[in-house]
Amino acid sequence: MANLVTSLCCVVLAAVVVAYAQRRSQLVARNQYERMGSDVTMQCGSLDNNTSVSWKVNGTDVKAQHRLEGPRLILTQVDLGHNGLYSCFQNPHGERRDTILLHIGIPPREPTVTCRSNTYPKGFYCSWHQLHPTYIPTTFEVDVQHNQRLLDVQKDAVHKNRCHVRFPEVFSSFPYKVNVTAVNSLGKAFTTISFEESSIVKPDPPERVTATPIRFNPRRLEVSWHSPATWPDIDNFPLKYFLRYRPLIREQWQHVELSDSTSHTITDAYAGKEYIIQVAAKDTEIGTWSDWSVAVHATPWIEDPLPITSTTEVDVSTEAKTSPLPSSNAPQKAEAPVGRAARVLTFCSPLLLGMLLLFM
Amino acid sequence: MLLAVAMATAVDPSHDLASERSSIESTYELTKYLEYQLKEIKDVYLTYLGPPFNEKDFSPPRPNSTALTLPSAATRLELWHGLENQARLAQNQKAYSVLLAAVRELASSTLCPSLKTSLLHFCTGLDGLLGSISALMTTLGYTLPPQSANMRTNAGELKVEGFWILRELQSWLWRSAKDFNRLKRRLRG
Repeated sequence: MANLVTSLCCVVLAAVVVAYAQRRSQLVARNQYERMGSDVTMQCGSLDNNTSVSWKVNGTDVKAQHRLEGPRLILTQVDLGHNGLYSCFQNPHGERRDTILLHIGIPPREPTVTCRSNTYPKGFYCSWHQLHPTYIPTTFEVDVQHNQRLLDVQKDAVHKNRCHVRFPEVFSSFPYKVNVTAVNSLGKAFTTISFEESSIVKPDPPERVTATPIRFNPRRLEVSWHSPATWPDIDNFPLKYFLRYRPLIREQWQHVELSDSTSHTITDAYAGKEYIIQVAAKDTEIGTWSDWSVAVHATPWIEDPLPITSTTEVDVSTEAKTSPLPSSNAPQKAEAPVGRAARVLTFCSPLLLGMLLLFM
Repeated sequence: MLLAVAMATAVDPSHDLASERSSIESTYELTKYLEYQLKEIKDVYLTYLGPPFNEKDFSPPRPNSTALTLPSAATRLELWHGLENQARLAQNQKAYSVLLAAVRELASSTLCPSLKTSLLHFCTGLDGLLGSISALMTTLGYTLPPQSANMRTNAGELKVEGFWILRELQSWLWRSAKDFNRLKRRLRG
């Protein structure tokens, strides 16, 4: 009697488990990826060919053009509008038999790949992107070859489409071959690029650029900067710099190229004019110039205007940082050194003339 | 008298180093000049070799023959950092003596007369560089490595070898610039 009860319990338990599992498998949607523009067939579970089913998408009737063939739903010329959660129910009782999450997408096209070394001679990184969206999850496989050896590739922690490689050696005569393959459920496509070690070197722009006026020098600006923090070995792999500057009011830049120096004095600035200054860097031997640094603004030292009581302190503290305010004082400020010189000249010239006449 | 002079130069190292640094600087400038010259010759030479050598990104496999023992400029970064001045100069000296002989052979086997002239002219520059390095080594008191004989190659691989000789030479000139820069800093103290 006890045995019978136990076996009965086991059978009931088993039935419950099976029924639950069946229900679970219907509730867990399976993914189906299909190509845009194609005709799609969705199969309702593993039902016989003559089974009659009805379909719903996202809980509502299927409005898109379709036809039914037994347990199959056929959609024609699908587009992104067909995306959704499709459920099929067996007729006539309406038990749910299957759930399919339909994703419409396109196979990947060849990705665009670029590589760069801003940490020379330590290593380089490669980035890639797809010109056209695929609308479905796409992964990328990267492999890097050098001198018939595969190099170790590290994925970037932050950027999804970037990876890092250490240079196995420096001053190599062998090119590097980078292959990036885009893969998704509908296909794959790859791009291979080849380059020499020296051609991809491009430092980050110089950092902490400062430009300060020099007291009593109305045409000078002292510019200084630091090599980019990402450049690992400035002593053995020195950088040369390119400085460009122009007054805000003009379009044309002036340029200075500097080796081995992280400061420069501009000596031909227009008095009283606000300047915009930028610096770029390059390895002294190889590669290309960095992007321009963040622009820095500065105005050369201007002589204080005649004291106007309470506003004097304000002028002194801000003259280095801001351009002269467009007020009635401004023209006076700019002209002061020139005016003074002119005044001296007008005073001296009759004196000189007098002296000349005396000696004739 | 000679002893006094020798002692004087020994006692005044700063003076010697200044002239050494100046010598390194001019050798550095020479490598830059030769690198520039080589770029131009290389383009003409690859055109002369014809396809596929003159195609962008083309890189034939490097000949493995023992006859062509081109010194490789490539090195592991830690090894390059750790090179002592003498070893650094010796590697350069050895490389250019092999490469000079190789370019001379290349010139002699070139059929185009203007290209042959350019290559031979380039050889005089390369010879100057070699002399400069040897002189620097002697001044610093380093012994020069012995000359090694260079065997010739089979005609079948001539094109590929020509490609690699110029390729390796390009790497060496680039590397030498870095080598001399490092030497300059090390001698500065």
